[in-house]
Amino acid sequence: MTHPWRKRSGSRLGGLGAVAMVLLAAVAQAALPASAVGSTAPDEGDPRLEGALVLDATQVKAGGELRVGVRLTLDPDWHVYWKNPGDSGLATDVSWDAPGVTVGELRWPFPQTFRTPDGFITTHGYHDQVLLFAPARVSEAATGTLTVSAAVDALVCKVHCIPAQLVLSRTLPVGPETVADPEFAPQFDAAQAQVPLAPDAQGAPRVALALEGTTLTAGKAFTGTLTVTTADGKPYAGGVEGDFFVPGRILGVDQVALKPSGEGRFALEGKASSVAAKREPRLTGSLRLGTQATGFTAVDVDAPLAPMVADGAVAAAAPLKLPSVKDAAGKVAPAAVASAPAAAESPMGLGLALVFAFLGGALLNLMPCVFPVLALKAYGFTRMVQEEKGKVAPHAAAYAGGILVTMMLLAGAVLAVRAGGASVGWGFQFQEPLFVAAVSAILVAFALNLFGVYTLGADGTALAGKVDQSHGLLRSAGEGVLAVVLATPCSAPLLGTAVGFAFAAGAATVVAVFLALGLGLALPFCVLVLVPGLAKRLPKPGMWMERGKQFLGFALLATTVWLVWVMGGLAGVDGMGRLLAFLIAVGLGTWLYGQSQGLEGGRRGVTVGLAVLTLVGAGTVALRFDEAQASVETRGATVAAHGGSQAWDEAAVSAALAAGQPVFVDFTADWCLTCKFNERTVLSREDVRQAFMKHNVAFFVADWTRRDARITAKLAAHGRAGVPMYLVLSPGSPDKPEVLNELLTADSVIQAVQRADGCESPLKAGSMVCARP
Amino acid sequence: MKQLFKAVALTVAFVGAPVLAADTAEVGKPAPAFTLKDEAGKTHSLADYKGKVVVLEWANSECPFVKRHYEAKTMQTTQKGFDAKKVVWLTVDSTASHDAKFAADWKKKEGFTQPVLVDTDGKVGKSYAAKTTPHMYVIDGQGVVRYAGAIDDDPRGKGAKTNYVKTAVDAVLNGQQVPTATSEPYGCSVKYKS
Repeated sequence: MTHPWRKRSGSRLGGLGAVAMVLLAAVAQAALPASAVGSTAPDEGDPRLEGALVLDATQVKAGGELRVGVRLTLDPDWHVYWKNPGDSGLATDVSWDAPGVTVGELRWPFPQTFRTPDGFITTHGYHDQVLLFAPARVSEAATGTLTVSAAVDALVCKVHCIPAQLVLSRTLPVGPETVADPEFAPQFDAAQAQVPLAPDAQGAPRVALALEGTTLTAGKAFTGTLTVTTADGKPYAGGVEGDFFVPGRILGVDQVALKPSGEGRFALEGKASSVAAKREPRLTGSLRLGTQATGFTAVDVDAPLAPMVADGAVAAAAPLKLPSVKDAAGKVAPAAVASAPAAAESPMGLGLALVFAFLGGALLNLMPCVFPVLALKAYGFTRMVQEEKGKVAPHAAAYAGGILVTMMLLAGAVLAVRAGGASVGWGFQFQEPLFVAAVSAILVAFALNLFGVYTLGADGTALAGKVDQSHGLLRSAGEGVLAVVLATPCSAPLLGTAVGFAFAAGAATVVAVFLALGLGLALPFCVLVLVPGLAKRLPKPGMWMERGKQFLGFALLATTVWLVWVMGGLAGVDGMGRLLAFLIAVGLGTWLYGQSQGLEGGRRGVTVGLAVLTLVGAGTVALRFDEAQASVETRGATVAAHGGSQAWDEAAVSAALAAGQPVFVDFTADWCLTCKFNERTVLSREDVRQAFMKHNVAFFVADWTRRDARITAKLAAHGRAGVPMYLVLSPGSPDKPEVLNELLTADSVIQAVQRADGCESPLKAGSMVCARP
Repeated sequence: MKQLFKAVALTVAFVGAPVLAADTAEVGKPAPAFTLKDEAGKTHSLADYKGKVVVLEWANSECPFVKRHYEAKTMQTTQKGFDAKKVVWLTVDSTASHDAKFAADWKKKEGFTQPVLVDTDGKVGKSYAAKTTPHMYVIDGQGVVRYAGAIDDDPRGKGAKTNYVKTAVDAVLNGQQVPTATSEPYGCSVKYKS
């Protein structure tokens, strides 16, 4: 196979004579070997572009990192192009050939904008000098010297344009240490400072887009507001200067421009292409904040615009649901929410969210997740009520306290992760293998406690007869913690809406909603305490309680089975094996601890030491989960559970809708018990399947078992923070998906599918507006 | 009632926006009318070719991209692939410094046959929003723009996979929808008078 850049040396550009030839510059800098310097693009014999291959290290160690770059120097008034050249021109292309070195993606410093005198043609690029570079990693096996080669393919323009091709090459010794190049490392640092930050980078300004419409109309103008806040959440107060925004190539959009319109606010004006893009266009580009005086910070912008509709269809297909012109002027909503039909429902107030959270929390008690804890607690209260009546209230308070404190920790974690720039959802911690392992370990330890393998907080003197001790206040609080931990993979009616509201709002709201949720979760025991006489109606204690306790131990172990299965989805069969090994170590460790409780002095210390050693040792060895190992089989389990379904993909959904199929999207996760419950009891029912077949429904599964920013964003767009979520889209009105309840019923699914298919025939359409061709 | 209000709001939102865009070339809209003289002084109007598919090619013989395509015979081969009774190919040069003689010299040197329309003042080029050379437009028999963009998907001359103009013309002739109706044109900027 010919090397892609070698074959260019010839014929097609031969008209320019030596243009395609690689010329080695006689004026090579002393610092660089001749092969690292080249010039080409001759204009009347005069080279307009000189290029040099530069490295930020003079020596590199095996496995080490360096930066490799191409420094382009241009004659006055000549320029080369940025990755999006603009109206004309050609993006500068650098390809690397470096055996033993893995070269990353090219970094582009913030470009200049060039305009023709009449303003008709706008392009983006660099003049004078630019360093285009990439991070690189040297192979662990590297020895001797490395050769790094770069092929540069650029278009160099002043008034006329000249293509330039350079092939540059340098060698680099591999040594025991990486040694920075004192001359070039600072140049790389300077170039790095010009490169726009990734939108989710640490300390990067946050950019949010609110569009004044739910759709873009082909060939029509659109407007919106871009809001910039600093990393710590304050509106960006500094100025901007010059051409501070350079758009990327945006499919479906012809022009976009930004104008400052206030503190940290920019008015967006754009025009959609005359041909509707198949995918929802995104606003991409780079934004440079700051002035010459204050210094610049550039950040990449990547925000969803809105789905495109063809001209003419707009009035019928998208009767402007959310933003009337009046609203848009006054309020700025995050783009994701603004473009979400779900958000079009009357906006939820904090009060309503709190009520929903409280009720949702109460309903969680009836969900399979929390039920084992509930049963455990009921058992505990039963005996307490009979024997230590006065203590019921403190224990209920401790249990509620445990719940509330854990809820606050969870709220704190949500806020911390969010401040770090990532988005999270309800149950997000179950996307973390180590968390799943920790919860499994706690469950096993708890179960063994119920079996009597050891006693809690019994201070070494505990004997089987003193099990009462295990009902310390601390234990009640611990059960509260466990209730919250187990509750998160569950969702209940109302909960999704409330938590979704909280996640889209400020820190205070998150805390308030989580508190309400915790109070709801603690409700049954509060009722038990607060309603006089109710406690006394519980059954009398007896031998059945000991058996009941051990039985509940098995219920907890059963929950562990589910977590092991979840681990399979996260980290594959290997991960499951590691988790089981660790759980056995947990069993061994707690058993050793139980043994120690019957011993005295030194022997006791040794046994406890052994228990700790077992746990720590097993943990160090076993708790290494490789998420890449997740078996494809497990990942596809949900998909397979519903025959003929496919993995969720926005483009595939659009395609199915365009083909006239109603669409059902199941947002689910392996660890989400409510999801699994719905899938097993409703979605796989025969009559539901029949309805899907009859209406030719395209069934999509969005699997959120592991982190997936696209799915998180989609959930947020519908005001939800977690799974399950069920969307039913009609080809007749693709912009108005119906969001089903968290707890499905066969009837609700069948009817929703029927409604979605209602547009199929104009005769059936009734009062519905169907914009399909 | 609410729906009606929203429809009104929607209309208001878009009024005053791109009404002025009516006289620029947009896919799906009537092509801007023009009358230009070619290198031999013969007048061509878009209206003359009603009923035929018209391919407009913005060119500047000094642009390396145009040179490359003429040397590789991309334009000539594409044109020859069409039925001359049904398809008209017009090359337009909107370069401010070029005149009829310049166009005639180029045509003679390359030995092609289609007329080169001389648009020295750039008015027609700007009405089509032609920004690069080459920049291609396909107009159907009813005078509606059906394709705008690059000649092919090969900005770097590494070998094209799709010739967008050929695909578009074939689709129009067969009464089908053009699969790729727009693409990013690549090349030099049009050197307009300013």
